[in-house]
Amino acid sequence: MQVHLKVFRFNPEIDRKPRYDRFDVQAEPTERVLDLLEMVKNYNDGTLAFRRSCAHGVCGSDAMRINGRNALACKVLLKDLNTDQVTVEPLLGMRVIKDLIVDMEPFFAHYRSVMPYLVNDEPLPEDGKERLQSPQEQERFEDTTKCILCAACTTSCPSFWASENYVGPAAIVNAHRFIYDSRDRAGAKRLAVLNQRMGVWACRTAFNCSEACPRDIQITRAIAEVKEALNR
Amino acid sequence: MSRLKTALGGYAGYQGREGHLAFLLHRVTGLGTVLFLTIHIVDTALVYFRPELYMDAVALYRSTLFGIGEVFLVFCVFYHGINGLRIAAFDLFLKKNWQIQTARSSVRWTLGLTLLLWLPATVIMVRNLLIHNFGLFGG
Ligand code: HEM
Ligand code: FES
Repeated sequence: MQVHLKVFRFNPEIDRKPRYDRFDVQAEPTERVLDLLEMVKNYNDGTLAFRRSCAHGVCGSDAMRINGRNALACKVLLKDLNTDQVTVEPLLGMRVIKDLIVDMEPFFAHYRSVMPYLVNDEPLPEDGKERLQSPQEQERFEDTTKCILCAACTTSCPSFWASENYVGPAAIVNAHRFIYDSRDRAGAKRLAVLNQRMGVWACRTAFNCSEACPRDIQITRAIAEVKEALNR
Repeated sequence: MSRLKTALGGYAGYQGREGHLAFLLHRVTGLGTVLFLTIHIVDTALVYFRPELYMDAVALYRSTLFGIGEVFLVFCVFYHGINGLRIAAFDLFLKKNWQIQTARSSVRWTLGLTLLLWLPATVIMVRNLLIHNFGLFGG
């Protein structure tokens, strides 16, 4: 099929303002948006800048807006777009470094703020080995372990668009992963970070995050569960 | 300021689904109601501060423009109230159901219920407007 690709272009070192470049690309319906970008970069314009690493939906590098909606370019098949017009733009609400590459640092700063690691200073069990956990206890936070930090959720959120101080769905998901981990002991500290106007209370349940998540994490539910933990 | 532009651009341009629409409508209807309430507080206060202007204010409410505006106000109040109860119900009692499918269908139910309540009110209000402002139906 013939695809009419429209790509957001902006190089802050040269351009005064962003523009859109158009490319007509020949591709199979079973190819992915990432393949289109690779074709353009290899055959049309080598200066096109975008991130990708694994190309298989695991590393979280290539989240972007595809036809106005956040997704991983490596997971969106052309046939699923139901159109031959494809527009790709960088994630909204982040500073553009070049073309489709945005500055992820504010995103990771929010991620770090919830202490996304296991905290437990208690002595090890008698046998000196692992801290055991039942399958039921693991099930409690299984869903939120799936995050790959692609930022598709946070940058689809109206509250984040309005304020980059909002901690964002991704950070809440990763806090949830440890708050509900029976082995962890720092839940109260994480909840203190999230119990603020720019914490979980900025969520307006718009569901863009859950819809955008390439790992199908039920993000809005996780946010509600963190609110529940705050009310205990 | 540019953050406001980002937010407005996202509201209007992001291809979100039911939840995005529900959020936008909730905000617009909430702000619409606030706007009406502000005007209403000001004109009612005229009774006390400028009684001679009060009847003019009441006349304003009888104008066609306000009549149409009130039809939209009723939509705003119904939608905002029902959607607010939807959000509260999920957040308080139905957390486990805050999932994509249930969220999508709950938004459709909310819109349906809103229309169900709004349409009869609209018929009555438009009929009144036609009677009093346009002399129809023997008015
Ligand atoms: C029928 C009774 C009402 C109910 C059940 C209700 C419920 C709610 C709820 C639950 C929210 C929070 C939404 C969220 O966090 O996602 C909200 C926000 C809001 N409400 Fe109401 N409300 C009611 C009446 C009103 C009235 C009368 C006004 C105006 C005077 C109003 C103006 C607003 C505004 C401006 C917001 C903020 C919207 C936003 O953040 O996007 N509400 N309402
Ligand atoms: S390139 Fe790794 S997630 Fe798409």
